[in-house]
Amino acid sequence: MIRKLLIANRGEIALRIMSSAKELGIKTVVVFSEADRGSMPVQLADEAYCIGPAKPQDSYLNMAAIMSAAEISKADAIHPGYGFLSENPRFAEVVEAEGLTFVGPSPQHIRLMGDKQRARKTMEELGVPVLPGSDGVVTRIGEARRIAEKIGYPIILKAVAGGGGRGMRIINSPAELEENFKTAQREAYLAFNSQDLYIEKYIERAHHVEVQIIGDGERVLAIGDRECSMQRRHQKIVEEAPSPFISPKTREKMLETVERAAEKLGLRSLVTFEFLVDEEENFYFIEANTRIQVEHPVTEQVTGLDLVKDQLLIASGEKLGYSREDVKTFGHAIEARINAEDPRTFTPSPGKIHFLFLPGGNGIRVDTAVFQSYEIPPFYDSMLAKLIVHGRTREEALRKLEVALLHTSIVGVKTNLPLLLSLLKSPKFKSGNYTTRFLEEEFIW
Amino acid sequence: MKIEEIKELVDFILSKPVKEFEIEVEGLRLKLVKPKQELAAAASPEARAAVQEEDREEKSGEEIHYITAPMIGTFYRAPDPSSPPFVKEGDHVNKGDVVCIIEAMKLMNEVEADVSGVVKEVLVENAQPVEYGQKLFAIIPDND
Repeated sequence: MIRKLLIANRGEIALRIMSSAKELGIKTVVVFSEADRGSMPVQLADEAYCIGPAKPQDSYLNMAAIMSAAEISKADAIHPGYGFLSENPRFAEVVEAEGLTFVGPSPQHIRLMGDKQRARKTMEELGVPVLPGSDGVVTRIGEARRIAEKIGYPIILKAVAGGGGRGMRIINSPAELEENFKTAQREAYLAFNSQDLYIEKYIERAHHVEVQIIGDGERVLAIGDRECSMQRRHQKIVEEAPSPFISPKTREKMLETVERAAEKLGLRSLVTFEFLVDEEENFYFIEANTRIQVEHPVTEQVTGLDLVKDQLLIASGEKLGYSREDVKTFGHAIEARINAEDPRTFTPSPGKIHFLFLPGGNGIRVDTAVFQSYEIPPFYDSMLAKLIVHGRTREEALRKLEVALLHTSIVGVKTNLPLLLSLLKSPKFKSGNYTTRFLEEEFIW
Repeated sequence: MKIEEIKELVDFILSKPVKEFEIEVEGLRLKLVKPKQELAAAASPEARAAVQEEDREEKSGEEIHYITAPMIGTFYRAPDPSSPPFVKEGDHVNKGDVVCIIEAMKLMNEVEADVSGVVKEVLVENAQPVEYGQKLFAIIPDND
């Protein structure tokens, strides 16, 4: 069993990990930047060490400083949380090379999933559907034409060096391809210093649905799905479990497919497989995340599992204590991310919280690290709290969420509470059939 | 209340995460209001020490420069256990002189004085862990 766990993260996830660790009787150590000296994780951990200045590169991404803190505190395991070093295979390797336990998948699996082309190829070989597209870089227009004919329009031209929504062009017809191919190459060259493009089928009305995997390296289980289509700027703001869009038949097929592939890979710890699902419920693998997800609580609420606790037990060498039949899903859970940001422009709004009231009660869970008089530092992400509701039905969960949001009061900084409340009035959101374009392109308020 | 008792009481209150404290004994009223920063910092012993040092600095009125830890690690005053320390209280150091070693990840990192002056106090015991930014030496800088 892990004796002393170093948590290499901050904010709500640091507290989330700390709670499960303490429950298991594991001593906790947090590392923090100068900007987080007054934070709750620092106050509540058994030990806390300042590892550098506010900038993430100098503190939460500083491997040497984190390893040095592990050495000083005699921690025997490191939990990376999400973001920061959580999906850095080099970090996982360093942790293991120092003889410590890395709470997460193996470095090889982190590396595999981090290479998007290799991950896609591996999944395809393991029988997981991937988006039809080119097999690597497309350099000539003749080749592009041939691939487009084969997979069908619309297609999307993507710069290999692009990402985060940049360097993409949607092509609807052969004429548009002729018109745009060379321009896209030139653009990619100017923006990313590489004119390499690849082609993927473009799904106009796509749902983002993901599958949660838990494994001990031998037994691997797909324990449920989450709908994460409510996004702005590729950032999720509302997540649900189970997905209100896919049918039980599709769900069964998705979980089955993912479980088989994950078992063949021998995945350990928590991994999430992300899919695009089209209107006909065809699903295509996009990527796999080799860490705990921000939205893990919705899965916990409907299954009754404690994913972080299981993650710590697996890291301690224990075998999964349950099988697929033991995982029962009950009711519906929804998470709303409350961010310190302008609800219309999405510009972050750091500053001091002068007054704070967070809701609680039946079926309501709040994961947060903020408190009244807390000063939100401008160096990190703007998420203040995750409000998670659980009801017997989706309708009940929606009502609970509305009441809980109305009972939330945050004074001093701008928040997206008004946006979340108007979302709950939207018939489209209520219907449960909304795509990744809904929030940014269709929703008017 | 004797002055010693008041000092002891103040130190005790400073070590607790309370915002305000008020007491009335034998006609003497004492009220302490901590600035926000101190409240948050009171949780870690190192930070507590730092807060007290700041107080001392204010009281003495002389300008003091602190050499702080550039990284987290283990603080060593000498290059090896058998050697004398790099510096001791009362020594004069020049900017650039090595004043201590911080071991991090089995690497010995020499820390140099960032100012010239006289070592007033060595604030950390040999072979103790130090955090990033922790005060190591109090220096009275030279007057140029």
